[in-house]
Amino acid sequence: MSCELKQKERVGTINPIFTCQPAGAQYVSIGVKDCIGIVHGGQGCVMFVRLLISQHLKESFEIASSSLHEDAAVFGALSRVEAAVDVLLMRYPHVKVIPIITTCSTEVIGDDVDGVVIKLNEGLLQEKYAGREVHLIPIHTPSFVGSMVSGYDVAVRDFVRYFARKDKTSVKINLITGWVNPGDVTALKHLLTEMQIEANVLFEIESFDSPLMPDGNSVSYGNTTIDDLTQTGNALGTIALNRYEGGKAAAFLEKEFDIPAIIGPTPIGIRNTDTFLQNLKKMTGKSIPESLVRERGIAIDALTDLTHLFFADKKVAIYGNPDLVIGLSEFCLDLEMKPVLLLLGDDNISYPDDPRIQALKEKVDYEMEIITNADFWELENRIKNEGLELDLILGHSKGRFIAIDNDIPMVRVGFPTYDRAGLYRHPIVGYAGAIWLAEEITNTLFTDMEHKHNKEWILNVW
Amino acid sequence: MPYHEFECSKCIPERKQHAVIKGPGEDLTHALPLGHLNTIPGSISERGCAYCGAKHVIGTPMKDVIHLSHGPTGCTYDTWQTKRYISDNDNFQLKYTFASDVKEKHIVFGAEKVLKQNIIEAFKAFPDIKRMTIYQTCATALIGDDVDAIAEEVMEEMPEVDIFVCNSPGFAGPSQSGGHHKINIAWIKKKVGTVEPKITSDYVINYVGEYNIQGDQEVMLDYFKRMGVQVLSTFTGNGSYDELRGMHRAHLNVLECARSAEYICNELKVKYGIPRLDIEGFGFEPLSSSLRKIGLFFGIEERAQAIIDEETARWKPELDWYKERLKGKKVCLWPGGSKLWHWAHVIHEEMGVEVVSVYTKFGHQGDMEKGIARCEEGALAVDDPNELEGLEAMMTLKPDVIFTGKRPGEVAKKIRVPYLNAHAYHNGPYKGYEGWVRFARDIYNAIYSPIHQLAHLDISKDEIPAGAGFQTAKMLSDLNLSEEVVSSSTLRQYTGKYDSVSSLRTKTYPEFKKKERSE
Repeated sequence: MSCELKQKERVGTINPIFTCQPAGAQYVSIGVKDCIGIVHGGQGCVMFVRLLISQHLKESFEIASSSLHEDAAVFGALSRVEAAVDVLLMRYPHVKVIPIITTCSTEVIGDDVDGVVIKLNEGLLQEKYAGREVHLIPIHTPSFVGSMVSGYDVAVRDFVRYFARKDKTSVKINLITGWVNPGDVTALKHLLTEMQIEANVLFEIESFDSPLMPDGNSVSYGNTTIDDLTQTGNALGTIALNRYEGGKAAAFLEKEFDIPAIIGPTPIGIRNTDTFLQNLKKMTGKSIPESLVRERGIAIDALTDLTHLFFADKKVAIYGNPDLVIGLSEFCLDLEMKPVLLLLGDDNISYPDDPRIQALKEKVDYEMEIITNADFWELENRIKNEGLELDLILGHSKGRFIAIDNDIPMVRVGFPTYDRAGLYRHPIVGYAGAIWLAEEITNTLFTDMEHKHNKEWILNVW
Repeated sequence: MPYHEFECSKCIPERKQHAVIKGPGEDLTHALPLGHLNTIPGSISERGCAYCGAKHVIGTPMKDVIHLSHGPTGCTYDTWQTKRYISDNDNFQLKYTFASDVKEKHIVFGAEKVLKQNIIEAFKAFPDIKRMTIYQTCATALIGDDVDAIAEEVMEEMPEVDIFVCNSPGFAGPSQSGGHHKINIAWIKKKVGTVEPKITSDYVINYVGEYNIQGDQEVMLDYFKRMGVQVLSTFTGNGSYDELRGMHRAHLNVLECARSAEYICNELKVKYGIPRLDIEGFGFEPLSSSLRKIGLFFGIEERAQAIIDEETARWKPELDWYKERLKGKKVCLWPGGSKLWHWAHVIHEEMGVEVVSVYTKFGHQGDMEKGIARCEEGALAVDDPNELEGLEAMMTLKPDVIFTGKRPGEVAKKIRVPYLNAHAYHNGPYKGYEGWVRFARDIYNAIYSPIHQLAHLDISKDEIPAGAGFQTAKMLSDLNLSEEVVSSSTLRQYTGKYDSVSSLRTKTYPEFKKKERSE
């Protein structure tokens, strides 16, 4: 009876859990103010990623393509990067930051994106855009390496590496949120405010829960500024909440500027939020106020209504971004549930070194599997052909048919969650997130009991 | 017909020839927008790639096939579950997608071996499925994997399976259109004629360029079956792989989306002498005329007419209820390729709306020619529109509703223009008589939603009408209608069900006796 970590045995992917690296870099790029990324590759690499993110956020935003066509694939496509930068700058006068995000095609043909950036800096920008602040940032995200998760991690590091400067001391900390929702950023900033801590937040995507105003504004933008990014080099310390989505940037700042880094834990659930607040206290010397004690108390109160009555021994499968999956599994364990299957959709070789995974391996006292490089077939095949019985699935919308066809209650969490309304608005981190998650799970289980007539009368008195 | 220069695109002069405004009495041939040309980098075009044109638009609607993309997982993931091409086999093609998961080591050392393993694994996971399509992607095209050779090898080892290879990497053409062409040609070259179909009727067609969006194909099949016409295959919505291998035995190719599938019709004509008949499933008149043409071709006009009469009597009063309320509403018709001309004229005629703009993301000049010919004078026609041009057009034209894709729909929302999904539909299907009423209903519900009225109010400045707890769409739409229309006893709102398609799957049809032939 133990927890086993293993890689998927098949070589192929039947229903992928993740998309590829450039998507992660694109999600980062929309968090930066006055920034429009150029994805150097075929048009689909942008068009579909924009569609995906817009389905999730129910918003639009801008990302450009270098529009690689046949001739460029044969003869090299750097001239198309040059043209794209020029066209963007001409038509979007507010744009100051242009990450140039590579893809599999342009990495295979070996386009020297770093070289063309130097050329543009010395040529076009001097000649045509003299006096205009423009930052071109090459970001290498070949699709055949890693996944959207590592693409996110690489892009955060590259933004930070490009901008960070150390020229003064600051009381601010860096908070690198990882791949989260607007609602999570709001919840995290609320915790900082309560503790009177100022932070450079990477990335300020709260504004993607944007209003429809009487005067008709048009496009949602991220709000992390060039100054925020520059100031990361002066910060008191860095807290990267997600090891795999921002950890690289934190490590860079520590190495380059001696800025102390705390990586993790993802503040999902009470315990991990407690640790996050302790880390904030340790880093800044600020105390944890009574207001948060009370907030925590409200969460504990809510959870106490649910745990031993409804959650105990419920078997759960969880898939998605690694920090999310691990955080959710820890929270589930605290709620007396039994995560029996965790699916991580890429082949990051450092998973076995993750102390959280090691803790699961050492301490879980029932059969649990953690599959890396996983696809959805790892879940579906176990249910359909190997007798896996589940009470709950936690994961994003792409796995929806497994839940639907096997009639297993599912709570949408992670990215993307396009088949449920408004989830980007609700936090899963912090005490507020703990309440929301637990109650969403509960209500989903209740609906399922009623739908299946499975002891639905139990709710006559509660 | 002057070219239209967008303010936002003055700095990229080559865009000028991609937009025109249709002037009174002007000759199309003088100033047709350019089309199907390479995209301007950085313009934030809405185009996709040739891989998605082949795989996502045409390939994947085939329902009994393992669709395997040879490349990293992104292409597969991104084009999975983003469309509504359903099927009558529990949506296998929507639910399952396969990627060979090419990683860095394969890029360096070749990915043919891993592809072969993938094929075997996929068939093993789904033992009931014996057919597969493999789509090349940018990465595997560039490293030069010989996908055809691997497919041949597997077919020799596993004689019960059949594999189709489509070599259409993302960069192969200016847009998804390049992929449409490649998969059309590959299918007829490699697969048509390799299965002999059973002919059960005197009247045999292929239904081509139809993707069963929300059930379009099933609605049209219902009419064909009621006419006693055998549909040998559908290319490709709800279509079956082996049925499509028998396309060569049809008497007629009935073509719907000419943009994406005229290539295969043209080839079937050249190679097998099968004539092509272009039809339209959208709109009462175009559909009736299409059914009549098919009837005429086979000499069974009376069967077609019976359907037309029955369906028109059933649904026309409902269409007209909406027409009365949609008259004069301004519409931007901004689909992908061919709907600009499928819809432009008929929504004006049958729903009374004014088409103030048409655009096409991946259409060719021929599509524009037809679209402009069919839209209203003064309409703005744009090829390969980009983000800023779309915004500028909406700001100046002030449409009441736009028909476009999901993400551009979010752009429109923010400037308070309601949108309908032109590709996947809101509450489709839109083909067929009932479908056309469903489209009219969606337009009506979009335009007259009380939420739009609220969206324009500024509570800090405006006089707020107090005392009204609610508004209904009908209260808004009927405000200035004549009493005669409002209280008409013949006109009525849509009376169909939420799901108008599933019941067709269990329907029985009259048997038409096949004539004895001395062949």
